[in-house]
Amino acid sequence: MARILIPTPLRQFVEKLDTVEADGATVGEVLAALTTRFPNLKKQLYNDEGKLRSFVNVYLNDDDIRYLQKDATSVAATDTLSIVPSIAGGLI
Amino acid sequence: MITVERKPWREMVNHAQATYPNECCGAMIGTIVSGPDGDVKTVIHALALDNASAGPQAARYELRPEDLLRADRQARELKMDLIGIYHSHPDCDAYFSETDLKNSCPWYSFIVLSIQKGQYHHANSWLPNAEQTHAEKEELQWPES
Ligand SMILES: [Zn+2]
Repeated sequence: MARILIPTPLRQFVEKLDTVEADGATVGEVLAALTTRFPNLKKQLYNDEGKLRSFVNVYLNDDDIRYLQKDATSVAATDTLSIVPSIAGGLI
Repeated sequence: MITVERKPWREMVNHAQATYPNECCGAMIGTIVSGPDGDVKTVIHALALDNASAGPQAARYELRPEDLLRADRQARELKMDLIGIYHSHPDCDAYFSETDLKNSCPWYSFIVLSIQKGQYHHANSWLPNAEQTHAEKEELQWPES
């Protein structure tokens, strides 16, 4: 069971929990278990094509999974996954 | 509705003025209480963050996800919530630009501070949608408002 930290605005989709535990040997499996249990969360994280939304980053402990093995990154029971947005902007 | 307490409001304005003529950015931590007319968000701590944009920063800002992760952890330690992001518009109004929208996230309130000739001028709060096509203005209150 890995821990997934849920950002405040998404807690309404996971029965108001701030942390959820889910099974899986890889990041992809843990996220699949999470979004199967909470289908409304899936719409927040994934677009209609089933891809993670452009502003959604997933961190395994302190590392962005894009710089690890992405969905195939191994997850241990002591690991923590975080959902972190990409945010930027400009005047025009 | 989002209310900013006096101390974080001062810090945000000071940060934006000190960073002029560049854009500043930061995170807002506080509480969210559900009321009959929707959520009431109160900003209790402002967290100045680095503008990580690689190019000129007079018209561009970028937050590092690592910094947002740190802000979220800090909020949890305080038993509070990460509720918003702030940034400044040097010598421009506090609108939510096309670039702001295309690089936004619908989970947070976005406060934009207009800094004109180095001085605070006005501010707005925005709520972008998940498709990044529209941002709605959110009622914003602060001590001097
Ligand atoms: Zn902007």
